[in-house]
Amino acid sequence: MAEPLGGRHPRPDAVMKVAGSARYVGDLALPGMLHAAIVAAPGAPARVVSLDLEPARAVPGVEAVLAAGDVPGANLVGTIFPDQPLLVEDRVRMVGDRLALVAARTPEAAWTAAAAVEPELEPLPGVHDPVEALEPGAPVVHESGNLVRTFRVRRNAGGDGAASAPVVVEAEYRIGGQEHAYLEPQGCLAIPESRSRITIVASCQCPFYVQHAVARVLGLPLASVRVRQAHTGGGFGGKEDYPSEVAACAAVLAFATGRPVRLIYSREYDLQATTKRHAMVVRHRWGADTDGRLLFAEVESFLDAGAYVGLSTVVAERANVSAIGPYHVPSVKVDTHVVHTNNLFGGAYRGFGAPQVTWAHEATMDRLARAVGVDPVEIRRRNLLTGESCTTCTGQELPSPVLAGACLDRATELAAAWTGSATVAPSPHLRRGTGVALVLYGCNLHHGGQFLDRSSAVVILQPDASAIVRVGLTEMGQGNLASAQTVAAQALGLDPSRVEVWEPDTATVADSGPTVASRGAHSTGLAILDAVRRLRRRLDPVAAGLLGCAPGEVELADGVARVAGDPSRAVPLERVLGEMTARRIETIATGWWRSRPRWFDEATGLGSPYETYAFACHVAQVAVDPELGLVRVEHVAAAHDVGRILHRDAIEGQIQGGIVQAMGWGLLERLELDRGRLLNPSFTDYLIPTASDTPEISMALLEDAPGAGPFGAKGIGEPSFIPTAAAIRNAVCDALGIEIDRLPFTPPVIVDALGTAHPFADLLD
Amino acid sequence: MNLPVEAVLRPRDLGEALSMLAEDPSAVPVAGGTDLVVQLRARRRHAPVLVDIGALGLDRIAVEGNALVIGAAATMDSIARSAAVREHAPALATAAGQVGAWPIQCRATLGGNLANASPAADTAPPLLTAGATVTAAFPSGQRRIPVLDLFEGPGTTRLAPGELITSVSIPLDPVPAGARRVDRFVKLGPRREQIISVVSLAVRAALLADGTLADVRIAVGAAAPTPVRAPAAESVLEGRPPGGAARREAARALQEDIAPIDDIRAPARYRRLAAAVLLDRLLGEISHG
Ligand SMILES: Cc1cc2nc3c(=O)[nH]c(=O)nc-3n(C[C@H](O)[C@H](O)[C@H](O)COP(=O)(O)OP(=O)(O)OC[C@H]3O[C@@H](n4cnc5c(N)ncnc54)[C@H](O)[C@@H]3O)c2cc1C
Repeated sequence: MAEPLGGRHPRPDAVMKVAGSARYVGDLALPGMLHAAIVAAPGAPARVVSLDLEPARAVPGVEAVLAAGDVPGANLVGTIFPDQPLLVEDRVRMVGDRLALVAARTPEAAWTAAAAVEPELEPLPGVHDPVEALEPGAPVVHESGNLVRTFRVRRNAGGDGAASAPVVVEAEYRIGGQEHAYLEPQGCLAIPESRSRITIVASCQCPFYVQHAVARVLGLPLASVRVRQAHTGGGFGGKEDYPSEVAACAAVLAFATGRPVRLIYSREYDLQATTKRHAMVVRHRWGADTDGRLLFAEVESFLDAGAYVGLSTVVAERANVSAIGPYHVPSVKVDTHVVHTNNLFGGAYRGFGAPQVTWAHEATMDRLARAVGVDPVEIRRRNLLTGESCTTCTGQELPSPVLAGACLDRATELAAAWTGSATVAPSPHLRRGTGVALVLYGCNLHHGGQFLDRSSAVVILQPDASAIVRVGLTEMGQGNLASAQTVAAQALGLDPSRVEVWEPDTATVADSGPTVASRGAHSTGLAILDAVRRLRRRLDPVAAGLLGCAPGEVELADGVARVAGDPSRAVPLERVLGEMTARRIETIATGWWRSRPRWFDEATGLGSPYETYAFACHVAQVAVDPELGLVRVEHVAAAHDVGRILHRDAIEGQIQGGIVQAMGWGLLERLELDRGRLLNPSFTDYLIPTASDTPEISMALLEDAPGAGPFGAKGIGEPSFIPTAAAIRNAVCDALGIEIDRLPFTPPVIVDALGTAHPFADLLD
Repeated sequence: MNLPVEAVLRPRDLGEALSMLAEDPSAVPVAGGTDLVVQLRARRRHAPVLVDIGALGLDRIAVEGNALVIGAAATMDSIARSAAVREHAPALATAAGQVGAWPIQCRATLGGNLANASPAADTAPPLLTAGATVTAAFPSGQRRIPVLDLFEGPGTTRLAPGELITSVSIPLDPVPAGARRVDRFVKLGPRREQIISVVSLAVRAALLADGTLADVRIAVGAAAPTPVRAPAAESVLEGRPPGGAARREAARALQEDIAPIDDIRAPARYRRLAAAVLLDRLLGEISHG
């Protein structure tokens, strides 16, 4: 039997999802179930003058219509800050804010009822740009002011370099947000049992967040709220904190009616109201010597948080310490402002603030290369963190080996070896360009969130030597079930098909924190290994008795217990388990993992925000049609410092998906706003890449620098996304010979950037 | 699905369909449903009763006398694959093969594309350049309407309520001896498939033995309230070779023919520049054979 570790055994959820037998929230129905709809504010900001709910109550089939005063517990959602009501009391701050909730016997009745409410709103002046929001006299979103918080890094700031650097480049980058575009919209099912306890079945990344949110709005102890993760059709950060709001709505309606309530968002409302990747403005002033060696870096960023804090401060924390990338810079000054506006709700999205700052630092590195007159690859080589100089932005010393240079080498080799596109016909209208981008990714949660960096698992060995594994982190398409299954199978010496990993249920494992920050495989896997370790304290002596060896000599592999170093002395695991059952020895164990404590100083931004880091380098090769502004990404070479491959298909899938999703962000995806209202709330006009836009992808997976995860694995979910758009930006600018500093690069943006150089520009005069 | 539809009627033949539509003014024909269902769901249209015209045998594609006749219910997929269409109206075959992506092409019909009257309807420019006419039926008879006269504005046609397009015919006008027919379509959008045209362009002409163009017809989509012919650009090119100075002059003249607006899909300036580039390139390709 081949080892499970690093294999390509079928993902346990693949067949049911592809064949359509997996049941998502929208497929679940219970007798007596009601359907929910939200009465949403059409404009913002505004004061609620009056809210007449009678027209909704009058719609046949309606069972409940609730306003703020009807929330039994706290009228509050919001994971970190208590700034967001479940139902608006008097002030609307963003388009889509909830004014009331409806439950009805059919979805149509619920929608009709919600649409029948015509709230009387008095418009208030709004603010729609994060830089303008900080100017004196700007309309305030909350009385506490528009500046939520500023994060900083000061390391030798204002040192000699800043004053004397012979080469200085400056730029302002305007970087657009992004919609998660998960296949399955937000949805959940709330099932009340009397008025004392409730089960929530939710499409979500973080069942424990949902549990807390529901307990708070219902005023229940946590123990009375059980959350089961439904099969989840994509998350990407969009189902990190937001499903708490969805579940809170359904739960309040379920308690008011005593009936199961299902709430599923329409795509339009989902696009308008749920969280987005933050739009950011990033200003750079970076200096180098005449060889291009960096002397200082100054970065000031503004995150458009929208009307509520949500997770914006945590996103900013990562953006802040990721601001200068994988480079050695002697003097660093970073300011990262989190700013309220009345725009879309900024939140978690794959990369968590790092893609925006990476886009900026990689643009600046190319600028610097041009200013100094060296090749973009060479300037990176001169500045990358290495074994000798490996002090990060925050002054953290990285242990060797440091794979930044190796990633750059492997990705550029793959790009050089690529023999050309099979899909883009040669044409005199095309110009080719190549761009490179690197990332230093801090694995798992930032220091500020390390109290959440923990995980629980339960392993139950069955008499037939199969195993049930209960975990606290979710599968949303990224492959967490596959990696958990692989880790458990490897540790128990079982074929992966004998290991069943069940989606999280808060009633079966301890609070394991969120499934975010590329920590799924890491934290799930280590908790499983801990559970297996505890199980083996009981199993090994029994096996040793059967084998006639010492417990310390027992090894599990290929479905047997055997004597290490003497594989001919073996007994089937099934027999060992039979013996344990006969002797009434427990075959269940729990496991626990938590990250190591670290030091970090919030005031200076110095210290160790992350325990370990992963490097990645992407090289994009593009064909640009400048006259039409079209960009075709032909090839992306991706080199990743992965620590150890757990499941090969899962890791490759993450890299392919990350690249395509980031390509969409870099080139296509535009959240077009009019005073906070989304003008393109559909996939007809919010364009994401289709399969036919997918570039060819080559990968190098480097396993030379083990991480802290199971068997040395490091997270891949976010590093796979972060560098791509920056590499594409640099490739397009290389092809065109101009700098474009706003994302996305849509065709009109590229054509505009050409200005009067467009061959037909004079026709329009 | 959230569709406020009370009934879907399934007539057995055209006559029954026409009388169902005549009897109930709230009844609306549905073919592939790829436009109508989207509009109903978004409450942009209201149609409590649908009359399914997909099974009336209106999907034939054949050469009849001097015309290529395509049934209104022929799908984009069947049009794109039809040997007759590829021979006599290659631009239309190209356009049909670029509507949405293949799953949509298997449902979307030619009649629906025209009756929906989107300025970006991809089959409109090649039908305009081919001088096509639609045959429309009503309870007491039928009439022929040139495609040029069919469109009134965005989303509106000159069809009377209850009137059905039954077919589209494309005249098989022969080219002079020694000449070669050119008939091309090109569509532009920010991604490769499943994209509504930001600009589309069709050119049909005879390339004479002396290298000059005759009977030049140009049409543009998504650059005016309806798909339009481009008479100014056409007259610049008439009698001249497609290469050389005429290319740029035609791109300039085209600006008079179109009236794009700024909208969510693209600014007017982009559409103007892109239309110029597309025409310039098509002419370049024609002149290079
Ligand atoms: C994902 C997607 C992608 C698309 N991409 C494109 C694209 O790239 N290019 C493009 O041009 N279009 C595109 N469309 C729009 C649509 O597919 C086409 O316009 C299609 O040809 C409509 O045909 P249908 O048979 O589906 O029409 P239906 O939706 O059935 O009908 C459309 C309208 O025409 C009327 N109608 C239908 N048949 C007749 C008839 N015979 N006589 C009178 N009235 C009639 C209906 O009452 C209705 O008002 C796309 C649509 C979708 C959903």
